[in-house]
Amino acid sequence: MTNPPNNAAAGRASAAGPVITCQQLTKRFGDFVAVNGISFEVAAGEIFGFLGANGAGKTTAMRMLCGLLGPTEGAATVAGCDVFREPERIKQHIGYMSQKFSLYEDLTVRENIRFYGGVYGLKTAAIREKTTALLQRLGLAAERDTLVGSLPLGWKQKLAFSVALLHEPAVIFLDEPTGGVDPITRRQFWDLIYEAAARGVTIFITTHYMDEAEYCDRVSIMVDGRIDALDTPAGLKRQFGVASMDEVFLHLARGAKNVE
Amino acid sequence: MRTVWFLLEKEVRQLRRNRSLLGLLLVAPIMQLVLLSFAANYEIKNLNLAVVDQDHSPAARRLLNQFQYTPYFRLVQTRPTSRAAEQDLLDGRADLVLVIPPQFERDLVRGGRARVQLLVNALDNVKAGLASSYASSIVQAYQGEGRPATVAATVSEVRGLEVVPAYWYNPLLNYKTFMVPGILVEIISLIVMMVATLNIVREKEIGTIEQLNVTPIRKWQFILGKLLPFWVAGLYQFTIGLLLARFLFHVPMVGSVPLLYGIMAVFLAVPLGLGLLISSVSQTQQQALFVSFFFLIIFILLCGLFTPTEYMPAWARAIDRLNPLLYIIDIARRILLKGSTLRDVLTPVLTLLGMAVVVNTLAVWRYRKTSG
Repeated sequence: MTNPPNNAAAGRASAAGPVITCQQLTKRFGDFVAVNGISFEVAAGEIFGFLGANGAGKTTAMRMLCGLLGPTEGAATVAGCDVFREPERIKQHIGYMSQKFSLYEDLTVRENIRFYGGVYGLKTAAIREKTTALLQRLGLAAERDTLVGSLPLGWKQKLAFSVALLHEPAVIFLDEPTGGVDPITRRQFWDLIYEAAARGVTIFITTHYMDEAEYCDRVSIMVDGRIDALDTPAGLKRQFGVASMDEVFLHLARGAKNVE
Repeated sequence: MRTVWFLLEKEVRQLRRNRSLLGLLLVAPIMQLVLLSFAANYEIKNLNLAVVDQDHSPAARRLLNQFQYTPYFRLVQTRPTSRAAEQDLLDGRADLVLVIPPQFERDLVRGGRARVQLLVNALDNVKAGLASSYASSIVQAYQGEGRPATVAATVSEVRGLEVVPAYWYNPLLNYKTFMVPGILVEIISLIVMMVATLNIVREKEIGTIEQLNVTPIRKWQFILGKLLPFWVAGLYQFTIGLLLARFLFHVPMVGSVPLLYGIMAVFLAVPLGLGLLISSVSQTQQQALFVSFFFLIIFILLCGLFTPTEYMPAWARAIDRLNPLLYIIDIARRILLKGSTLRDVLTPVLTLLGMAVVVNTLAVWRYRKTSG
């Protein structure tokens, strides 16, 4: 894999209006403010890195955008649907892959694809077609009748990613998708992400790997429920006068109060 | 409906690969039915009898023989005094003591009325009740028939009223006829409610529920997809159970079996819906299981199978009106043994239908795709 150019977003993003918009989006659990008035926009086809220490509020924010968690106040839209009023409509237009592996381990590769295809309302012929294509692309054709539980973690995650894209969503939310896999598999995973982005899918990704942050078109860094920085990786490094994303992250995260 | 089909397909595939759950659903109820139907027995045999015979007359001996001719009593001790026999009772050697007083024969011949004393160990009051009623009926029968013919002729006018019971719908008072339908629906309810209880919360524990919650699946589709496989399993269990009841236990089937099936189909939605409701509000399987047990124990112990509901205090009976098992057991007995028609059992059937609608609506409502 060649190192992806970070300014690629500019060309892709201009194609359409923003796919995700957030204005002062807030989530409170009692007295605790998990997400504190965050605002940003993500353009179509953009790879948007959502960084922050554990406990900074990344997952909470992402769950709100996916319609899994009701927001407290603010405004947000995903793929043109309102997060407050239409959480179920959002679900038709997004893919989601969480850090907790979420395909059925007691179903085979093909059965998992068929099930999710069916739940998203794909026609039987489309499911069959997409299954073949997907297995081909992942090199899993020989494993199509293997129980997912017996696949190596890296394969599972690539499969989960591809299944989340089955219904051709406008946005895919990836919550630490590469946790616990080896560097080679992570690279392969990012190849898949780039393929998807090239097809116009907006990528919203959280990660703890700073090398992955470099792969993103733009990166936001959350600290204590707020977004403290938002720019291209190059812009961020320039802003903080440092050489790597690692240093940018440490610089910001050091001031955090809510660290797990 | 297409989405429900995909959910069903998935549930069935998972079920097929889960050997222990499959065994629980398909084999366990049959084993339990056979085991419990033979074991849950209201007939008591071989009660230990101690005798204090202070009369030593032929009449006393004949009475004793009457006891020994039945399978219910086994003479274990003969004691000279009540005091010694009481010790047997105390030490658990005897379940009951029969005291035949001196002049038993003389009283019997003279007045036609002789008294014997029964001392019964009432530690287990069901057993005590049965022991004393068996013993009393033997004594009564003896008083009626056991006297010398010549005497009987002279005293016949002093005999008291005799009650001749006629047991309808179960003329031989066969306990299996009474118990098997009840045990069957009880076992089925227990198992289907358990598997439903563990299902949704298991997906929560594994994390797959979140993936489902970001799909556009509708809540009712989800609940229906979870309910149907176990509903079919419940009807399968019922089929096997009815076959066993008919051919192994010879339970009479006077009424319409298809009618009972239809009602059973309605009933099954109650424990299933309740299980799914519990499952969708619980965070862990352990938690769900405890809540489910709480309900199941009440349902089972108060369903009238083990203690007649008529004996319960009014408040308990009021609570028991929410017990679905109470209705289905009553309906099953009435249709199978008495030949009741839908019109006869309409009220309990409508009650079950109402419960099914309520718990399943609650389950759909309480299942949250979007949290707080």
